[in-house]
Amino acid sequence: MNKGFRSMHPAVALLYYAGLLLFAALLFHPVFLLTEMIGVLSLLLMQRQGRHLLRALPFYLLMAGSVAVMNPLFSHRGANILFYLLDQPITLEAVLYGVMMMLVLLTIFIVFRSYNYTVTTDKFMYLFAAAAPRTALLSLMAIRFVPLFQRRLRQITLIQSTRGINVNSGKLRKRMKDGMTLLKVLLTWSLEEALQSADSMKARGYGIRKRSTYGIYKLDRQDIWILIVLAVSGLCTLLGWLQGYAMLEIYPRMKPAVFSWGEAAMFASFCLFVLTPLGLEGKEKWLWRSSRRSGYPSVTPMKAGIRSMSFRSR
Amino acid sequence: MLCGPSGCGKTTLLRHLKRELTPVGTGSGTLKYQGQLLAELSPERAAGEIGMVFQNPDAQIVMDTVWHELAFSMENMGYPPSVMRSRLAEISGLFGLEPLLYKSVHELSGGQKQLLNLASVLLLQPKLLLLDEPTSQLDPVAAREFIGILQRLNEEMSMTIVISEHRLEEVLPLADRVLLLEDGALKAEGSPREMVRRIGKELSSSHLAYLPTAARLFLRLSPEAEYAELNSLPLTVREGKQWLQKRRLLETDAKGMAVAGSVANTGLSTDAEVLLNCREVTFRYEQDGPEVLKKLSLLLFRGELLTIMGGNGAGKSTLLHVISGLAKPQRGKAELAKGVSAGYLAQNPLLYFSQDTVLEELQHMAHYAGMTEAESQHEIAELTAIFQLQDLWGSHPQDISGGQQQKVALAMVLLLKPDILLLDEPTKGLDPGAKENLASLLLHLRSQGASIIIVTHDVEFAARHASRCAMLFDGGITAEGTPESFFSANYFYTTAVNRMVRDWLPQALTIEDVN
Repeated sequence: MNKGFRSMHPAVALLYYAGLLLFAALLFHPVFLLTEMIGVLSLLLMQRQGRHLLRALPFYLLMAGSVAVMNPLFSHRGANILFYLLDQPITLEAVLYGVMMMLVLLTIFIVFRSYNYTVTTDKFMYLFAAAAPRTALLSLMAIRFVPLFQRRLRQITLIQSTRGINVNSGKLRKRMKDGMTLLKVLLTWSLEEALQSADSMKARGYGIRKRSTYGIYKLDRQDIWILIVLAVSGLCTLLGWLQGYAMLEIYPRMKPAVFSWGEAAMFASFCLFVLTPLGLEGKEKWLWRSSRRSGYPSVTPMKAGIRSMSFRSR
Repeated sequence: MLCGPSGCGKTTLLRHLKRELTPVGTGSGTLKYQGQLLAELSPERAAGEIGMVFQNPDAQIVMDTVWHELAFSMENMGYPPSVMRSRLAEISGLFGLEPLLYKSVHELSGGQKQLLNLASVLLLQPKLLLLDEPTSQLDPVAAREFIGILQRLNEEMSMTIVISEHRLEEVLPLADRVLLLEDGALKAEGSPREMVRRIGKELSSSHLAYLPTAARLFLRLSPEAEYAELNSLPLTVREGKQWLQKRRLLETDAKGMAVAGSVANTGLSTDAEVLLNCREVTFRYEQDGPEVLKKLSLLLFRGELLTIMGGNGAGKSTLLHVISGLAKPQRGKAELAKGVSAGYLAQNPLLYFSQDTVLEELQHMAHYAGMTEAESQHEIAELTAIFQLQDLWGSHPQDISGGQQQKVALAMVLLLKPDILLLDEPTKGLDPGAKENLASLLLHLRSQGASIIIVTHDVEFAARHASRCAMLFDGGITAEGTPESFFSANYFYTTAVNRMVRDWLPQALTIEDVN
C-alpha cells in the first residue's frame, strides 16, 4: 500500500533519510536525538508499522543498552566519580556518554527500519539507475535471481529426494555431498536458462546503444515543494552544527547546556526537517477521516449541487 | 507457418532469420530483408523490425516486474521517456496488461508470461515477427488466447508472422502458407488446403499428423479427396461439420457413418485389484492458504490408464504429489495397496538429472533402487532397448532434446519398478510422432501390469489412449468415466472429432471411431 510519505518521489525519501542519518551521527545533543527518534517513531506508528517494530525492539534495546552499560565499565574519563566497581572508577560523565551513545544507536536503528519500509528495492534502484544505469541493471537482474533460485531449489530438493539425494538423512559426509549435488543441478539448470535469457536480451537490442531509463515515478509539485523544504531546513541545521551548536560536551567535564537563541533557531529548523513527513502522513489521515465524516468517498469539498446526489446515493 | 518433426531444423531456420541469434557454424547462401542483406542491416533495424518470441516463457524474461520487463526493450533502443510511456500505454491496452503492470513476474501464469514476452517484442514495433513454438509450454486455454492475439496482429496490423508450431488445430487454418520441413530441407509448401491435398495424395501417412482433425477426417472418409475442389476442403471444426452435413444429405441411407467397433479399452472393471485409494484427501500448502484439494476421493485399479484433466491451478500436480507421498495431506489418506509403490515423473525432466551422462544417471538410480551390479546392467539394457536410448548413453542429460530428456527421466523412474506411474503433463511440447511413441510405451507398460495416472490438458491424447478419464475441479473429482461416456457428456471439453460428429455419433471421439 502506497500512501502518504511512502507514495512520494524516491528522491524525497532518499534526501530525508540521508539527512536523518547525517544528523544522528553529527548532532550529539539529547534534545535533538530524542526529537529525531520520536519523530521517526511516530512516522512508523502512523504507517501502522508498530507491530513489526515491536518484534525487532528487544534486539535494538539489547544492542543499544549494552553500549550504555559497557561505556562506563571501560571508559574512566571524567571528573565526577560516582563509585568504585572492582577498583575501577565509574564516572558520571562516562555514564552519561553511554546513555547518549545508546540514544544515537537507537535512533539509527529506527531510522533504518523506517527507511526499509519507505524506500523499497525498486525505488532505490530507480535512483541508482540514474547514477549508474549498467550497474543498476545488473544488480536488478541479480536481485531477481535470489527468490527465483530459492523456488527452484525447493523443487529440485523435492524431486531429487525421490532418488535418494537429500540433505536430511544419512551421514554428514553423504549429506554434504548431496547438498553439493542439489546445488549443481540448480546451477546447470540456471546456466542453461541464462543462455536463453541472453538470447532474449540480444534479440531485443541490448547493447546496441546507450540505454535510456523508464521511470514510473513522477516528480510532482508537492514533491518539489517538500524537497525544497527539506533541503532548506536541513541546510540551516547543518549551518547551526558548523557554528558549534547542538554539541553536548561531556568529557572531560560536562558543561551546562545553555539553550541559546541560535540553538533554538537551529532546533526549529531541525524540527521542520524531521517532522515534515509526519505532517504529510497526518494530512492524508485527516483527509480520509474528514471525508468519511462528510459521507464522501473522496476529498471533494461539499458543494450545494452535489449534496442532493449524495443523498440520493444513500 | 513451419511444421515438421522435432529436430528437423525449424528453430535453426527461425534463428537464421533473426540476425542477432544466427547460430555459429558454416553457412552459405544469402538472406535478404526488404531487399537488403540481413547482415548489412543497421543494428537498430535488425533488433527493432524483426522480433522473436521463444519457446520457454520463463527463460526469456529478464526483469522482475512486468512494467520493467516491458520497458527493457525500449530502454535498450534508447527511446525518450515520453515515447516509452505512450507505447507502454498502447500495448497494455491492447493486451489488457494494466492489472498486471506492477506485479512481480513470477506471480504470472505461463500464458501471461508468454503474452508479456510478445508484448515486450511488439513495443519495438516490429514488421516481422518470428515465433518458435510459442504455445508449446502453455495449456490449451492460454494457447488459444495467445493464438487469438497473433491472429489480430496479423489481420488488423497486417504484420508478417513466421511461426513454428505443433498445435496445428488452431494455427493451420489461420496460415497463408505452410512449409513442411524434414531433415533440414523443405519437403512441401503451399496454402493449408493445398497441403491437405498434397499430403492426402502423395506424402506418407506420418505427415497426416500435421493436419487438423477436420482435414484428416475428410481424407479418411472420402477416397476421392484428391479430386475434390480446393475450397471444399475442411480445416476447422465448423467447416468439418458443414461438410459432413452435406455428405449426409447426399447419402440418403445413413449407413455411411457408423461407430467403428468399440475401442479396445475395457473401461471400468470392478473386479480388478485396487492399487490406490484416496479417501477424502484435503490439502493446503500453507496454514491459512486456500484448500487445493477438498475431500477428494479416487480409486485406481491395476492395469488402468487414468487421465486427470482440469484447468490451470485446479490442483492436478498437487494431487500427484500427494499420491506419490511428496506432500502429506492434512486430512484423509492416499493409501497404496500392500507392496505397491508409486513413481512420479514431474513436468520438468531437468529436475531429475544430477550426473554427467545419461548412463550415470541410470546407474545411480539403479543403485538407489538397491539392485546388484548384474541386475542393474540387465535392467538398464532392457529399458534402453525399449526407450531407444543407446545413442544417448554418453551424452550429458542437458544436451539432449526435450522429448529425449523426458524419456530418460521416465526410464529412471521405471528403474524403481513402480506399480503406479504418475505422469505430470507428459505430452507437453512433444511433436505428434513423439506423442505416438509415448503412447505405445505406456501401452507396453500397462501390458506388464502397471497402472498409470496421467495429468494432462491434452484432450485428444486422453480420448485416444485412456481407459478412464476424470475431471478435477474445485479440489475434487467432479466427473469420471470411460473416455466415451466422459467426453460425450462434455460439450466444450471434448475432442475435435466429437465436436464435429456429435449430432450423429455422440460416442465417437477419434478419427478411427468414425467410418
